[in-house]
Amino acid sequence: MASDDAHTLIQVRDVWKRYGPVSVLKGVSICLRAGQIHALLGGNGAGKSTLMKVIAGLVSPNDGTVVIGGERLERPSAAKAQRLGLYLVPQEAHIFGNQTVLENICMGLAKSPSQLRSRVIELIKQLSVSLDLDAQAATLEIADRQIVEILRGLVRQARVLILDEPTSALTPHEVEALFARMRALAAKGVGIFFISHKLREIREICHDISVLRDGAIVLSGALGDYGDDQIVTAMTRAGTGASPAASTAVNAAKGEARLVIDNLSGEGFRSVSLSLSGGEIAGLAGVVGAGRTELAETVFGLRRAHGGSISLDGKVLDKRAPARCVDAGLVYLPEDRQQYGLFLDAPLYWNASSYLMHKLPFMLSPKREREAFSRFRDAMDIKCESAEQPARRLSGGNQQKVLLAKCLAAKPKVLILDEPTRGVDVAARNDIYALVRTLAAEGVAILLISSDFDEIVHLSDRILVMAFGELEGTLPAGSSVDAIGKLAFGAREHAHV
Amino acid sequence: MFELFARNRVASLFAITILTFGIIGAAAPGFLSGNTIAVVMANSLVLMLISFGTMLVIITRNIDVSSGSVLGLSAAVLGLALNAGISLPLAIGLCVLVGAAAGALNGALVAGLGVPSIVATLGTLGLYRGLMLTLTGGRWIEALPQSIKSLASNLGWGGSVLTIIVLLVFAGLWFFLRRTRSGGYFFAVGDNREAARHLGIPARWIEFSAFVGAGACAALAGVVFAAQIGFIPNQAGNGIELKAIAANVLGGVSLLGGVGSAVGVFISVIFLTAIDSALVFLRIPAFWNDFIAGAILLSVLMLDGRIRLALDKRIRAKRYAIGHGGQNAKPASKEKAAESLHVSSEATR
Amino acid sequence: MKRLVLRWEAVLVLILILEFVVFGLINPRFLNPSNLLYGTSDFIHIGIVAVPLTLVIIGGGIDVSFASLVGLCAIVFGVANFFGVPLPLSILAALAAGVCAGAMNAAIIHFSKIQPLVVTLGSLYLFGGAATVLSGAVGAGGYEGIGNFPGIFTEFGYLEVFGIPAMLILFVIMALIFIVLLHFTRFGRSVYLVGQSENAARYSGLPVERIQTVTYLLTGLCAAIAGLMLSSYFGSARVDLGTATLLPAITAAVLGGASIYGGQGSVLGTVIAVFVIGFLQQGLQMAGVPSQVSSALSGGLLVGVVALRLGSAMLAGFVARGNKAMAARSRPIVEEKIK
Repeated sequence: MASDDAHTLIQVRDVWKRYGPVSVLKGVSICLRAGQIHALLGGNGAGKSTLMKVIAGLVSPNDGTVVIGGERLERPSAAKAQRLGLYLVPQEAHIFGNQTVLENICMGLAKSPSQLRSRVIELIKQLSVSLDLDAQAATLEIADRQIVEILRGLVRQARVLILDEPTSALTPHEVEALFARMRALAAKGVGIFFISHKLREIREICHDISVLRDGAIVLSGALGDYGDDQIVTAMTRAGTGASPAASTAVNAAKGEARLVIDNLSGEGFRSVSLSLSGGEIAGLAGVVGAGRTELAETVFGLRRAHGGSISLDGKVLDKRAPARCVDAGLVYLPEDRQQYGLFLDAPLYWNASSYLMHKLPFMLSPKREREAFSRFRDAMDIKCESAEQPARRLSGGNQQKVLLAKCLAAKPKVLILDEPTRGVDVAARNDIYALVRTLAAEGVAILLISSDFDEIVHLSDRILVMAFGELEGTLPAGSSVDAIGKLAFGAREHAHV
Repeated sequence: MFELFARNRVASLFAITILTFGIIGAAAPGFLSGNTIAVVMANSLVLMLISFGTMLVIITRNIDVSSGSVLGLSAAVLGLALNAGISLPLAIGLCVLVGAAAGALNGALVAGLGVPSIVATLGTLGLYRGLMLTLTGGRWIEALPQSIKSLASNLGWGGSVLTIIVLLVFAGLWFFLRRTRSGGYFFAVGDNREAARHLGIPARWIEFSAFVGAGACAALAGVVFAAQIGFIPNQAGNGIELKAIAANVLGGVSLLGGVGSAVGVFISVIFLTAIDSALVFLRIPAFWNDFIAGAILLSVLMLDGRIRLALDKRIRAKRYAIGHGGQNAKPASKEKAAESLHVSSEATR
Repeated sequence: MKRLVLRWEAVLVLILILEFVVFGLINPRFLNPSNLLYGTSDFIHIGIVAVPLTLVIIGGGIDVSFASLVGLCAIVFGVANFFGVPLPLSILAALAAGVCAGAMNAAIIHFSKIQPLVVTLGSLYLFGGAATVLSGAVGAGGYEGIGNFPGIFTEFGYLEVFGIPAMLILFVIMALIFIVLLHFTRFGRSVYLVGQSENAARYSGLPVERIQTVTYLLTGLCAAIAGLMLSSYFGSARVDLGTATLLPAITAAVLGGASIYGGQGSVLGTVIAVFVIGFLQQGLQMAGVPSQVSSALSGGLLVGVVALRLGSAMLAGFVARGNKAMAARSRPIVEEKIK
């Protein structure tokens, strides 16, 4: 029994959480005191969100204990955790689309929305945001949805707040106001878990820090005791630490321009022109919402273009549709593999041949498909039981490899990879990097879309940066992450200053 | 025009109903009389109650196709109890209890075991009908005592005790859904179950209660049925579940959950019943009824669907409108925060 | 996944054998082969519509309009026959009506993007109404039948080939065609893929609308076949010929392993389930159980079996995850488990 003093709001001890064969949390212990703002850092898939869901009673651990305000969470439930004064502001806001904003904020509270209206307005003022309380919530933008969630936490007068990347959708002004609120709350004895990727923000607001890596706490203590380097190393050790310069040395066989996009406009982007050569890896960097996925989906015929043209190996691709693009040798790896990439309940070999459905014979020959899949399995080291296994039961990294196999089965000349390593463990990530390089060496033109600037620098022969729907600029290989960042965020200055 | 229709579904349905009454009245003078309205009201009572119950279930994003059989089963219990000499209030109480129990079984299957609601209620549709027939031995229950039949007698203003009961249910339901916290939970669970869970709303319990409510409503419909008809045939309530779903859809209750109002259902049931009555009045052969009902339902659905698509498109266009000034401010400023040092490998995710 | 499906079909066969044993013990006449064979004529039309319906459900849709479409197609045939159209043409007209109705369903679903359940509910009324209107037009009115079919047509209902009812043979052939179509062809694979994830299917370049449309067309066609078979069997075309097939057919598909969420199911499972349901009714009848009670039992069977399936999946979950994890199980996990 560690510090069970009156100031401890949350005490988590040796919590394990397994999903199938994968352990997401491996014996995590963490505690939160009254008035403390505790930063939680970690890469994608490190287990931050799962840990917070365990604390909030939304996920029950396989092992270990969670004590909130001295009361042990025996059978965890969200209702109970909230009764104990805890609120989790999730990364992606939970919105009731058919209800008004005010109803959304007050849902689940004892008092009626009309009774709480003035309180909510008060809080909105303190946060210095603008929000139409009577609008239908479905019409809200992502940032406003996030604010609704934050207001939910504030209006509940929680003793413990968990903020899961609350600033990712907010303006700097809103972030400042939120921080002021957080400080005031902490002064009143509220404990706050603050999950963020932004060290600057963490330095600004937090007292303590814990770093999660692969489901375990690898660093914990007062923030002041650690330098930025220490924290970054703790997070990324065994990660992709290779120096960018080493990897971008080879861009040997550069072919003719294969994919030429000329003055293309569409939903979320406009006037984009670029060309890709065979054997080239072009990184397309930018922040979420810059229009990169929309561009890729338009090129692949999933969205309608408003103007401009696309040609592949000199032939104009018009009337684009995914099947026609695949036939022409243009293949797209979607960003969200669970939703758009894979058929999670279908056997792996069905997945692998799903880009080629229109080319398969009418009477299928599963044997040949299975053989084709097992070739990919061997080449890409996909860990699975059999070709019949449903994709759902694979780990994220192996799922992503299956998705890559699906793309490669279509024998692409041009391959658009949209966030190919999102939610993928370190080992699989390195495998994927190696594979991408091999493909390029074989003459495939690759457009690599990623929000991970390190990844872009690591792999690309040329770096394109998009911001606010426009191609903002091109950088040579080996450019620094900072340079990319300036371009990716820089457009703001043109637009507003 | 589009948006007006979509936003004020209830109002537009009301307007259409009035318009329909007007047109029929113009075509056949004499249709618009107090008598007609009383007849339409009386004819709509059974469907009204079933539709209210179904609405509760649909709002929570489930479906109930067993309500016709629940009506039959509870009406049979009522009839048998009455003919065995049990007093009317007690028999009605028993009847409603049976309906609620039937609904509870549905709810347990759906909310407890996680059986898809259409499958569960499809099964109980057969089950309850069979139970009813087992109870009655396959015979019609006739010679119901006068006490129950008198419930349906005109009180002098065109309505009966039954009308009052239904109007009370209507008012109660409206108040519950619009004015109470638990009522709001029904919409929340149907709108976004995960979000509801996140906010500590007992989603399973809510779903369960919706089915119990639907069962109780179906039982009340059974009481009305028995009182109006005076006997209980084997097929009592057969097929009414589909009509009730149609009435709900017409009344603006979304099968995707989270949207609907008692007023909309009320008007749509009146509308559907009025069309039946009007056909009789216009001396259109009765065999046109289903055809016209189906055609109306499908046209409304198509119109509704197209409107929703158009609205979606507009919202989408708005979201992607990259112009200068106002619209741009949000996406632009959104990213300012991300200037901070990127320590992790997935920076802005 | 395949292994699990196969196991489920094995369970259905076991249930079927259990029925034979129990009813055979109650009434040995039940097991009389010719009794069993001819008994199928009373319910085989359920299978005729349940099999294509399985495809619709696997493809992520649902169709309830077949119940009145059976009657409509029968009436179309009856009316054509009434006006002296030659028999082959009348049959063709009925089949065409079925296909058109299916096309209409598919068109409205894709045009309005409204849930298939609602759309086909509307067309359930529309088709039923159209059938009534049509039969009224030739003076048959209401629910009276249209009769006076050529002898050769009415004989089909009682025709036997090598001692086996022709209708049963027709069903078996149809089932075989559908088994090949669903489980061995590109089209069948596409149906599964579309049902499992419409998004992923669209991103993979599959013609989602076209695939779903074909499943509705097939259902329309088969509803017409069922209507013709019933007209032949009863010697008259009636509006309400198919109304009683609605629930048994959906029950058969679900009992056979089709997931109402799409992406899962098998033709073989549905076929076995049709026999399970059909023989249950008949066995109960022969055992002297009133026909009313048997409907309760078949409803109970559906609920029981599906609950059993979910229950066993949950039990497996308990074993695998331990009590603690299950305490907070949510429905998605359970659903995922069934698959």
